[in-house]
Amino acid sequence: MSGCGLFLRSAAAARLGRALVAFTASRRPLRTSPPSQAFAKELFLGKIEKKEVFPFPEVSQDELNEINQFVGPVEKFFTEEVDSQKIDREGKIPNETLEKLKSLGLFGMQVPEEYGGLGLSNTMYARLGEIISLDCSIAVTLAAHQAIGLKGIILAGSEEQKARYLPKLASGEHVAAFCLTEPASGSDAASIRTRATLSEDKKHYVLNGSKVWITNGGLASVFTVFAKTEVVDSNGSVKDKVTAFIVERDFGGITSGKPEDKLGIRGSNTCEVHFENTRVPVENVLGEVGGGFKVAMNILNSGRFSMGSAVAGMLKKLIEMTAEYACTRKQFNRNLSEFGLIQEKFALMAQKAYVMESMAYLTAGMLDQPGFPDCSIEAAMVKVFSSEAAWQCVSEALQVLGGSGYMRDYPYERILRDSRILLIFEGTNEILRMYIALTGLQHAGRILTARVKQLKQGNVTTIMETVSQRVRDSLGRTVDLGLTGKLGAVHPSMEDSAHKLEQNVHYFSRTVETLLLRFGKTIVEEQLVLKRVANILINLYGMTAVLSRASRSIRVGLQNHDHEVLLANIFCTEAYYQNLFALSQLDKYSPENLDELIKKVSQQVLEKRAYVCAHPLDWTS
Amino acid sequence: MRLLRLREVKAFFQGHAASHQLGWNWIPRLSLSPKGLKILAASLSCCRWLSDRQRHELGPSHPAGPGPLSGLGRYLQHCPHRSPLLSVVLYPQVTPQAPRGLHCSTAAHNPDSPLVPRPPEPQRGLVKALAPHEELFRQAPDGVRDKASFVQAVQNFTQYNVHKRGHVDFIYLALRKMREYGVERDLAIYNLLLDIFPKEVFRPRNIFHSIFLHYPRQQECGIAVLEQMENHGVMPNKETEFLLTQIFGRKSYPMLKFVRMKLWFTRFKNINPFPVPRDLPQDPVDLARLALRHMEPDLSARVTVYQMPLSKDSTDATDPTEPHIVGIQSPDQQAALAHHDPARPIFVEGPFSLWLRDKCVYYHILRADLLPPEEREVEEIPEEWNLYYPMQLDLAYGRSSWDDYEFNIDEVEEGPVFAICMAGAHDQATLAKWIQGLQETNPTLARIPVVFRLSASSGELLASSSGLEETPLTPPEGREEEENNQQRQQQSQS
Repeated sequence: MSGCGLFLRSAAAARLGRALVAFTASRRPLRTSPPSQAFAKELFLGKIEKKEVFPFPEVSQDELNEINQFVGPVEKFFTEEVDSQKIDREGKIPNETLEKLKSLGLFGMQVPEEYGGLGLSNTMYARLGEIISLDCSIAVTLAAHQAIGLKGIILAGSEEQKARYLPKLASGEHVAAFCLTEPASGSDAASIRTRATLSEDKKHYVLNGSKVWITNGGLASVFTVFAKTEVVDSNGSVKDKVTAFIVERDFGGITSGKPEDKLGIRGSNTCEVHFENTRVPVENVLGEVGGGFKVAMNILNSGRFSMGSAVAGMLKKLIEMTAEYACTRKQFNRNLSEFGLIQEKFALMAQKAYVMESMAYLTAGMLDQPGFPDCSIEAAMVKVFSSEAAWQCVSEALQVLGGSGYMRDYPYERILRDSRILLIFEGTNEILRMYIALTGLQHAGRILTARVKQLKQGNVTTIMETVSQRVRDSLGRTVDLGLTGKLGAVHPSMEDSAHKLEQNVHYFSRTVETLLLRFGKTIVEEQLVLKRVANILINLYGMTAVLSRASRSIRVGLQNHDHEVLLANIFCTEAYYQNLFALSQLDKYSPENLDELIKKVSQQVLEKRAYVCAHPLDWTS
Repeated sequence: MRLLRLREVKAFFQGHAASHQLGWNWIPRLSLSPKGLKILAASLSCCRWLSDRQRHELGPSHPAGPGPLSGLGRYLQHCPHRSPLLSVVLYPQVTPQAPRGLHCSTAAHNPDSPLVPRPPEPQRGLVKALAPHEELFRQAPDGVRDKASFVQAVQNFTQYNVHKRGHVDFIYLALRKMREYGVERDLAIYNLLLDIFPKEVFRPRNIFHSIFLHYPRQQECGIAVLEQMENHGVMPNKETEFLLTQIFGRKSYPMLKFVRMKLWFTRFKNINPFPVPRDLPQDPVDLARLALRHMEPDLSARVTVYQMPLSKDSTDATDPTEPHIVGIQSPDQQAALAHHDPARPIFVEGPFSLWLRDKCVYYHILRADLLPPEEREVEEIPEEWNLYYPMQLDLAYGRSSWDDYEFNIDEVEEGPVFAICMAGAHDQATLAKWIQGLQETNPTLARIPVVFRLSASSGELLASSSGLEETPLTPPEGREEEENNQQRQQQSQS
């Protein structure tokens, strides 16, 4: 877990990285393999890193038994004792429920065992997430506590800090919260206003400022707070830099506002937190002074992958409930389930659930590998895909349910409201798409620099090479990246899908090259282009995940693996055509690309700040 | 455009299948960018002015004053500079709203005098016959001049004059009187006036009638009615069309004019992207508010009234103690002012004029000089800015020139404008109060030296406008005003 989300971009990150290495080394002494290339980044170069994704990551039988023993009671608790409707109505998780959660150890799932946590691997964490998500309020409370709230201490804390805070946090005696967002600062770290000034005796920082929309803000007694501090940098000038602090409520001067009234996840506690002259000892600086930006980024990047399995768990439950309704409700002497339009919705839900589950567990497995995998792109892709699929599927489920889906007596509308937040928090999907596309393009751009330069300077050999490549591409050559065939990783029953994936990857890399050639570093401004790049990549990752998983299922001989093959083939074909369309939109002067028109329309609307058209009934005079 | 003209002429001779065809088929050709619209509108106002001048030159007795077809050629012949702009807009029949509403547009017509051609008779001699039906309009017993009394006058004419003798004179007279009765924008009244014409009499009965101007005086009178409608932006309706076909027939000049109005009104009615309301507020503070909003592109800008006029009665600008001061400032301007280097002075400049329909208002700006290039701060992207994705890529190459669609434009950069104000008086004392008021929201302003660079405004315009701001136009003044406009336009064009 600790390695997840490490994102080495500069020297400062490297410093932090050393701290992380030191920590993880203590957990996993066997570390000889070099840092592995991330799978998604290589897709930008037209390569499929087979050993990263094939075979589908597995856990041993013992581990599985262990986790199943654990899953049982948790599932029982959630299905029998948690009253989600009551939590939603009252806007509060009852204390006894929280106590039970604590006694089950769910507050310290990823805290290492030596600090009193469960020390679960990412895969195990994802598995438990499936069950916890049966109640979104509880899931969000727990995630805010351990996926972001105390994650900073695990990732960047010193031994003393860990020893001091983690045991109580793991037991749930203390609840953690993550305080980053401010009224003026969402993802913009430069506009953080909260300030920490060093006291004269240099033993304390005095913290002043307020944070908004803090999940668990009212419950928490330990906060990870990000504030601006003055840092003297190497050339002697004083700069404001973000620093992370561990702040206890007992330090004084902390007040939380009243809980916000929200659309969904109403049981979770979200409120403002104000710090007024809170004295924080210097030992409570998390990471380095001035290194808070990297800490925040790592925490945010590491927490995302688990959404995939959580949403899949919720969707599976939803499919059960909806199918029950569709098979019993009769219209025109036929069950709803006999109508094609209803059947289609179930296929969609099953497909989405399958894909996101595959993506989530593939990512979790990659994170659990020895080495130091940088899977932040993959995690972001899982988050984007699963949150959007969740919204779409819940909406379709409500459509199946008709009127009863809209009534508050049934749980469905609550699920709809709850799932809306998934697209917004932990980085909105728009922002994550930028992240996915830009990180990949940065990687590809660096590697292609020499080539692009040669092309721009008019190096004859390179140009001839490129032209001949393009000519071969346009003649429709078959792309073979070695997924199929005699020693192929993909089962022959999905050979077509594998070919589709290979072809997509190949042309994707071509498009990436063209885009880099066309836009260079100014591609940062081309958000609509970046969105398509991200969408294609998400689809590619999804295709890889389902192919890998379905192949494993066949090989191991899992029950109903033919169903999995069906789902995998459906998804791959759909994604293939979506990708082809997106790729053609990325061509220059593509007739499918309406970006210019779209920009014009939005520009005019935003200039007027209103709908521009005249009323259809109007006359000229 | 030229194509269109041919079509239209053809349509006219094919006996009016035209208005709808022309009305709708050609809309896409007119989709212009805002900049294009401005140019078009400017050229329109130029064209209007030319047409007016022409009419003055030709003299009102010229038979083809607003002549629809021949007029075009003449405009081009007489036009001093045949600019390509002019060829864009060949039609003088244009709704007056378009040019007038433009920022600083000078096309302030006094709608009274020059647009309605005088009937030819009075000039021919008989002064006594100047207004043969004047008494009909003098009758109003209680002196109330409104729609009802105007309708009454027209009805009186038709009632007592069964043979409609002198109806052309009467219509011309009525057209001139409309403004006094405040009915110049009432379509029903225009239809009423057209209804005075005897029906079926002037219709061409054979091809020769329609080739040669049949009943020219009556046709011209009909055109005059339509022309006045046009000048007031009144769109003719089905009833107008019906009356015109009844009176003059389809193949007549008034009908052609009607078709053209139907065509061009729809295109030019909303051509101004910055529309000005038809009735301007009378209160100078409200007017200033409107004008400031009109000039300020930023919708989040806030209008502040720094000082209300002393009382309702003493709103005239001659009262030096308490003239109104209204200012506007957007948040961006506020931020720019906050970042201004206090060592550099800023300037209050003005007055500059702004025309809103027939009113001229004056404004002042608070501005600074452009920073010399060596002192400008280069905006750099902070290293740790975005928590979620990189704000810039670390690549050695930029956009290829094939994907660089930026035109190579020489742009003249100007210094920043920090605020705009409109005050009842244009002296330094008043403007100093404005600066004081601004200091409340812009604390840095207290440390920046402010230099007043007030130009002595061109006396004539200011004098007439200071009357204009408060009182509605009186006809003679308006005439003078318009001539001023023309002079100014000439200056600006030359």
